[in-house]
Amino acid sequence: MALSSNFWIWIAAILTLAIYSFLYKDNPFYKFAEYLLVGISIGYGISVYWHNTIITKVFNPLVYDKNFLVLIPLLLGLLMFSRFFKNVAYLSRIPIAFVVGAGTGLSVPSSFEFLFKQVYATMPTKLDIGIIIIVIGVISTLIYFFFSLEHKGFVGRVSRVGITFIMVAFGAAFGYTIMARVSLFIGRIQFLLSDWLGIIK
Amino acid sequence: MLKGKGIPVFITFIVGTIMIFSFFIPHKPFGDLEKISLNWYSIIAGFTMLLGVDSLIGMHYRKITRRTGNWGYSIVLIAGFTGTVVIGIIETIRLGTAFNEASYFTYIYNYFIVPLQSTMFSLLAFFIASAAYRAFRARNFDATLLLITAIIVMLGRVPLGEQISPNLPKFTEWIMQVPQMAAKRGIGLGISLGALGVSIRILLGIERSYLS
Amino acid sequence: MKKIFFFILSISLFILIFSQEKPILTFLGEDTPDSIVKNFTIDASDIPNDGGGGIELKWDSPEILKDWFISIIRIDEDGKRVLLTTDIPILSKQVRDVNSEEEPDRVIDSKGYNYWGILSKKFITEELLQILLDTFDFKEGLYSFNDDTFFVLSKTQMVYSKASWFNFLRLAVLISLIIISLTFLYYLNLAKKGKDLYIRKINGLDAVEEAVGRSTEMGKPIMYILGIGYVTDIPTIAGLTILGRVAKKVAEYETKILVPSYDPVVMTTAQEVVKEAFTEAGRPDLYNKNDIMYITQDQFGYAAGVDGMMMREKPGAIFLQGLFFAESLILAETGHSIGAIQISGTTETAQLPFFVAACDYTLIGEEMMAASVYLQKEPMMLGSIAAEDFLKVIIMSILVLGFLLSFLGSGLKIEFFKNLFDILYQALQV
Repeated sequence: MALSSNFWIWIAAILTLAIYSFLYKDNPFYKFAEYLLVGISIGYGISVYWHNTIITKVFNPLVYDKNFLVLIPLLLGLLMFSRFFKNVAYLSRIPIAFVVGAGTGLSVPSSFEFLFKQVYATMPTKLDIGIIIIVIGVISTLIYFFFSLEHKGFVGRVSRVGITFIMVAFGAAFGYTIMARVSLFIGRIQFLLSDWLGIIK
Repeated sequence: MLKGKGIPVFITFIVGTIMIFSFFIPHKPFGDLEKISLNWYSIIAGFTMLLGVDSLIGMHYRKITRRTGNWGYSIVLIAGFTGTVVIGIIETIRLGTAFNEASYFTYIYNYFIVPLQSTMFSLLAFFIASAAYRAFRARNFDATLLLITAIIVMLGRVPLGEQISPNLPKFTEWIMQVPQMAAKRGIGLGISLGALGVSIRILLGIERSYLS
Repeated sequence: MKKIFFFILSISLFILIFSQEKPILTFLGEDTPDSIVKNFTIDASDIPNDGGGGIELKWDSPEILKDWFISIIRIDEDGKRVLLTTDIPILSKQVRDVNSEEEPDRVIDSKGYNYWGILSKKFITEELLQILLDTFDFKEGLYSFNDDTFFVLSKTQMVYSKASWFNFLRLAVLISLIIISLTFLYYLNLAKKGKDLYIRKINGLDAVEEAVGRSTEMGKPIMYILGIGYVTDIPTIAGLTILGRVAKKVAEYETKILVPSYDPVVMTTAQEVVKEAFTEAGRPDLYNKNDIMYITQDQFGYAAGVDGMMMREKPGAIFLQGLFFAESLILAETGHSIGAIQISGTTETAQLPFFVAACDYTLIGEEMMAASVYLQKEPMMLGSIAAEDFLKVIIMSILVLGFLLSFLGSGLKIEFFKNLFDILYQALQV
């Protein structure tokens, strides 16, 4: 294998190096790559939105399926533009209120489901040391999140146990992720050494 | 009247309540409400995106005209944005859809966006190391505990760990299944209660800072 | 004459060739072996508690048929045929006819359907499938096709899919929803009546004032990062409510707050929040819409943009409050490298370790949701926190009760408690 003669591979490789240069310090190459990524990704995002939203979710249902229900979000979307005009800018609260309402409304039942699932999973169906530790861990962690009691005395000691469990869990999640992140880096190095420089196969 | 917060708070309450009840009613139209509302959100967000683009491009346009800050790079940003949109339009006309494999629009995605994204992502390999180093220096009980668990779990998941002691992978598994699981459940229960609290404060209009 | 002869010859050759190519489907009779017919019927029924888009088919799997396969064709009341499944082992005993909304041939609410089962010892061929779906005259019996025999059996009753008005599987959730709503209302009412409600110290939130103050002293702006969530996400909403309190402090200190955003709706909402906070603090003149700007809706593009902004604007304090994924550590480490005081918070348990390692203060999960209450301390808001705590007590009691019942039931083998435990366990299943 030899040095790539593909113009596009060269672009990808140069941009890769430009981002890595940030590890040394903020510099013109990184700035170039950063501004380019922001510019291109928003251009790409707008195009995707045009295709997936305006065409697929508004134009097609309206014109072909005669689904006039989409006029409601269309109107709500247009109300957002009221922000361009000072005297009617307050109208943009209506779509925000709608969206926040839908979001909070949907989250309530899903929070419940989650709650039930967690309690269900913690029920000690069999008795062993692991399950005892789990029950202690769950309860002490919950005590840590207790807000209306001062964390001193007995409550303070239990919440201390809770935070110990939390730190062990964070450490475990941390350690669990390290190798995955390293393999991302190896992936990029492989691209540079094999696709671009052709040093390794 | 529209200028006050009354109407928006009322809208939030009504929409939210309908969404909650739709969870229990599979019958039309309630059963589809979740999907419909997500669909609507993307339509509203699609329009709002123009506000976002106006904000971003406006800021960089001002930088260029006033020659302030890194205005040279602002040209790169606007060029990148305009170039991508224009190529998208040209390719849509030429090939029917810009998302064709032969389209230059796809090339932009594959050779600009993907390498930039994945390289940004891979920076984490370095950042995770420096964060671990910091935890190592912190020298308080919690940070030490975090770091020791991290090292054990990391070793337990690579072949080296098995060589150090065959019990290490088993111990790692135990940490993940028992103490990790316990804390994760506790945190999760707290989060869902907290989310309920936030939702109720918003639905009842106790929290209305998101509406000015 | 020669021409006519040649013509007839080619026609007959033509017929001969095609008649040989054409597979032969023969009806061998209605008399299928009793051992098979008697043992096999398909039972179709509406799936309860759904939106009317599902029918469930069940059958017994007698020993004699254990090596057989079944293919099922659905015929609706208008005669339209749709293939449900081919060649699944009889042993699987059931199949569900449920499809996504996008599927045009999905089961529709209150339309009638029949199902036909085709039993075969071998996989049925594409050719046969086409015939079954196009022209075949469905009738129970034994058939042969290219020397393979198969049975067409068991037309089901006409079955209608029904949409339910209530999902009974979620009854437990509804009951607890009512209980929890009442709990919240009770505590809100208590707060209204003026009962003093306490909230414990939350590490990190007392540092908000210090962070904003120090940043102002150094002449540096404050940066507030809401992560990559949408306005429909509760953590993002919580982040926005904290933003309101922080922005008020910022206005009081007459400094600047930068809010780079990922989602345009979040950006617009953040602008409202900051504007309101500045007005409340009596400094609407300091509010600059352009400080709350859009970056891009691309996870790592956003990370790159915010990183760059940190390097150049050098904020003295950085708040990371909202929904964060893999970009969390990229942002937090860069923020740390420029020496900013960092106060982070998220509900993403996978990202919390990185915040803990890289930030000065981290609000863990529920702490972040409660932060806006802590910073405002209005009675009604404190009431909702007290309600959350009461629910924690209920959850802990259920866990302890479960543990005791399990100990008495499974540990000491007392049947009565074991039954009680099973009842509790069942009730929690949703």
